[in-house]
Amino acid sequence: MMSVRHVLTTCPYCGCGCQFYLQVVDNRLVGVVPCKTDEIGQGRLCIKGYNAHAFVQHPERLKHPMIRDGDQLRRASWQEALDLVVSRLNEIISKYGPDSVAVLTSAKCTNEENYLMQKLARVAIGTNNVDHCARLCHASTVAGLIYSFGSGAMTNSIPEFEEADCILVTGSNTLETHPLIGARILRAISKGAKVIVVDPRETPLSRMAYLSLRQKPGTDIAWINGIANVMIRENLTDTEFIKARTTGFEELKAVVEKYTPELVEEISGIPKEKLVEAARVYARSKKAMIAYAMGITQHSNGTDIVRALANLPLLAGHIGKESSGLNPLRGQNNVQGACDAGALPNFYPGYQSVSSPEFKAKFEKAWGKQLPEKPGLTLTEALHKALTGEIKAMISFGENMMVSDADITHVEEALKKLEFFVVADIFPTETTRYAHVLLPAACYAEKDGTFTNTDRKVRRIRKAVDPPGEAWPDWKIVCELGKRFGSPGFEFRSPSEIMDEFASLAPIYGGINYERLERESLSWPCPSADHPGTRVLHIGGFKIGRAQFAPVTHRAPAEEPDAEYPFILSTGRNLFQYHTGTMTRKSPKLEREAPEPYVEISREDAERLGIDDGDRVLVSTRRGSIALVGRVTSRILPGTIFIPFHYAEAAANILTNPALDSVAKIPEFKVCAARLERA
Amino acid sequence: MSDFNPTILAFCCNWCSYAGADLAGVSRLQMPPNVHVIRVMCSASVKPEYVFKALSQGIDGVLVLGCHIGDCHYLTGNHRTAKRFPLAQKILGEIGLDERRLRLDWVSAAEGEKFQQVITEFVAEIKKLGPNPLREVRP
Amino acid sequence: MNELGRRLAEIAFTELKADYLLTTSREHGNVGPVFASRDEDLGEVTFDVPYQLVKILSRIYPWIPQGKIAIVARRCDEKALNELIKRGLFDAARIVLIGLACDAEQIAKCRCSDPAPSRVHFGTPNKGVEFDELAVRLQSMSHEERLNYWIGQFRKCNKCFGCTTNCPVCFCDDCVLEERTYVAEKGIPPGLAFHLVRAFHMADKCVECGECERSCPGDIPLLTLRKTVLKDMKELFGFSPGDQNSVSPLLTTLEGEPLEGDDDVC
Repeated sequence: MMSVRHVLTTCPYCGCGCQFYLQVVDNRLVGVVPCKTDEIGQGRLCIKGYNAHAFVQHPERLKHPMIRDGDQLRRASWQEALDLVVSRLNEIISKYGPDSVAVLTSAKCTNEENYLMQKLARVAIGTNNVDHCARLCHASTVAGLIYSFGSGAMTNSIPEFEEADCILVTGSNTLETHPLIGARILRAISKGAKVIVVDPRETPLSRMAYLSLRQKPGTDIAWINGIANVMIRENLTDTEFIKARTTGFEELKAVVEKYTPELVEEISGIPKEKLVEAARVYARSKKAMIAYAMGITQHSNGTDIVRALANLPLLAGHIGKESSGLNPLRGQNNVQGACDAGALPNFYPGYQSVSSPEFKAKFEKAWGKQLPEKPGLTLTEALHKALTGEIKAMISFGENMMVSDADITHVEEALKKLEFFVVADIFPTETTRYAHVLLPAACYAEKDGTFTNTDRKVRRIRKAVDPPGEAWPDWKIVCELGKRFGSPGFEFRSPSEIMDEFASLAPIYGGINYERLERESLSWPCPSADHPGTRVLHIGGFKIGRAQFAPVTHRAPAEEPDAEYPFILSTGRNLFQYHTGTMTRKSPKLEREAPEPYVEISREDAERLGIDDGDRVLVSTRRGSIALVGRVTSRILPGTIFIPFHYAEAAANILTNPALDSVAKIPEFKVCAARLERA
Repeated sequence: MSDFNPTILAFCCNWCSYAGADLAGVSRLQMPPNVHVIRVMCSASVKPEYVFKALSQGIDGVLVLGCHIGDCHYLTGNHRTAKRFPLAQKILGEIGLDERRLRLDWVSAAEGEKFQQVITEFVAEIKKLGPNPLREVRP
Repeated sequence: MNELGRRLAEIAFTELKADYLLTTSREHGNVGPVFASRDEDLGEVTFDVPYQLVKILSRIYPWIPQGKIAIVARRCDEKALNELIKRGLFDAARIVLIGLACDAEQIAKCRCSDPAPSRVHFGTPNKGVEFDELAVRLQSMSHEERLNYWIGQFRKCNKCFGCTTNCPVCFCDDCVLEERTYVAEKGIPPGLAFHLVRAFHMADKCVECGECERSCPGDIPLLTLRKTVLKDMKELFGFSPGDQNSVSPLLTTLEGEPLEGDDDVC
């Protein structure tokens, strides 16, 4: 008798968190069936979701631990590989101290795994140098909103978009990057909602929007303050809400006073009538939501931009109720969870600050070990310190820095300089080439665990097939490492046990356990076993008492165009590929849709430079050059170009500027100066 | 629209209608210049996909010309064509494109004059219909 | 296993002597497909959530070399199976149908004109509905209005391929819609060609199950489009898909004979 199973699991791609059934015949994946009762997908998926099984059983999956021998990686046993990892790290720790090691966790891995990885760093190794790729995307959100609201997470939930009467979407190409959130926005439009899109590029959503505002990249605080200016001037603010629930209004008013629609047009290029209309529509709507992503966060003043944006719902009173709020759309399937689980240099699990003596004592008691004092290094700082020789060793769980981080040339130098580099991944990547030890990991379809999507909902993933060869789930790898370090607290027999420990220490996950997750998915905060979970944050008040207005001012990006590099280069994504392409490029139907790297050039610029659609083009910045195909389009502003960062063979991040936001340490992926010529 | 110059594709089968087109040319029969002839071996090899692609990209009219029924070099190829294209026309109509932008006709190798007539009529018809509305539309 | 599951198992394994059964059940707080052999627990069986079980079976079937499979089938599933059996994609001898009659609510949602399976095991047969309201409205529009309507709808398409992935009679492994030759656009939305080609390919196969429409994240009224094309097929050729015998007119000569050189119905 053949065994045929339909295993309910959660998509490994984006932060929407759609659920589907993996069809399995014996140990073979044969298809994907969307789950019709799932809240997010409602029986629908995007093209990546429908192909979420395609890469899993690919022949190039890593199957055996490997150890570097000169130029080559040779096969080794788990015993040998893990022993080597621990002995080398112990050598480095005793020679240079525990802070010479950095641990990069994975936003693709489960909550349980992220919890264990940060525990490994803090307890077994003794450092707070633990971070993950949120650093590259929503670090500014976490830093910004903790200041503004006391909590860095999406304030409302995905289904609520459908009931909004106004949705302001900025810095998010939602239909391509969060298709099932985009689907809700489309429904809202069909019900008469007014969608306002603010984005330098024309996007599939902006073409259907009520208002489409196109700003020069890097001018977001100007237009945001402009909207605040109009709201205040035209008495469209919720004065009662401001009085009762906020602080800092007068300082904000003083700053935004000068951001008249005329000045905003000068700085950003947005026509003043459109700005005024946008402000009025947003303020006057009863149920107005803001959704945003990388266009807001990936700047050298990203934290300030997020805080500026947070001013708007506070001014209008559009927060703390249904279909309102400020909604950062988190990218990775579990980047929210990775942050929740404490894979951050300055927070323990549950956003409990490392700098707080009370929380330090709590975790020391729970974990039975003295913990490091100072907050650790972020991912971006750690790479920089690898270059200067202060970081000697790194463990990376699935991060492909050689394609995802800014200024790849220096990333490469940094990795080469490391004395010891351990990588766990599911495929060989551009980064695994530098590993001294390479460990084969199981992917989402091959293990149990939980993911937390962008609207704070915790969902199960379930094992459908066995991992290839000797690959192990990351939680098992971390436990074996922890044990070899001689640390207590790494004896787990299942992800369920790990979740129990995590939940016991992080009040926002307090009521989450596998027994409940058998029957339902739960939104945090969920502090106790009988708590139903929380859809909408900040109802009736903020954790910090009063929300804080942020009187921030427009500041130009770190690198602006000049005579030598006259274009503004923005990087981003397309629908068919995902991030560094580790999974999507191994999926035939996805690869076929968007197989080659390209640069979007405006028609005017193309004509001026004598470039035809399809011509090979050389794009250069102060960091380097890449050659790729030019795509002439009317969807971008003249003077700007756009390159998706998915393609390692023409890696956009060779060009990007590693200028960091001073608070969040996020690189300025969205703006740098570039030059373009026919190749 | 007096200054509208339509762009038209004509798929002509090698054995009959393409030869007929040739004959029209050699006989110096006057024809409007708007038609791009694409030779295929049989009208049955004209997949509706090509026609739909052409129209959705803004081509103003598509002609498919095959052998008369009974004369197909591949015996029953044009039977397939005869079934497909009325359906394709109906589908265009359901979407809101004018069915008359797609026309199927039979022209033999000896029918240079019929070729001229079909072309001239079709171009005039398309001129009356105006430019393909999909030319202007960005999706 | 609940009462419904027990009754179903009885019919499938004892009465119809099947080796496997495909139906839907509630588990982990959701409803999804379950493919079980005779000794397995079906769980909490429910028919409340309509899944496209024929398509789900299509992906499993090639990996099951022998054995009889019972499938809970609505009328549209029955018709889909007939289309696939005609094309040699299922062996009729290996498939047994357990007929499920749709209730009035489901019939209204699908605007279904033909809701009663040949043999009913579950549910009470109801009358179909005559009209698809949107189709009637579209009919009364001018060409320009109609085109604007569909352009407005299709601009929401993000090429998820849900319509083709979940369609029971869409059986090509390599879909022409994936070829740049036919769908020229490199991003989204794909041009009208995508939808025109799909409409054409479905004209002689569509069984109006509505799964395409239910799978569309853009809520594009695909089922309505299918119905209008099926009406045209009826008018042009007197043909409707879904029975065991009649061959698609697109696969025959003008006299209704097999085309020269066509050995099989595909």
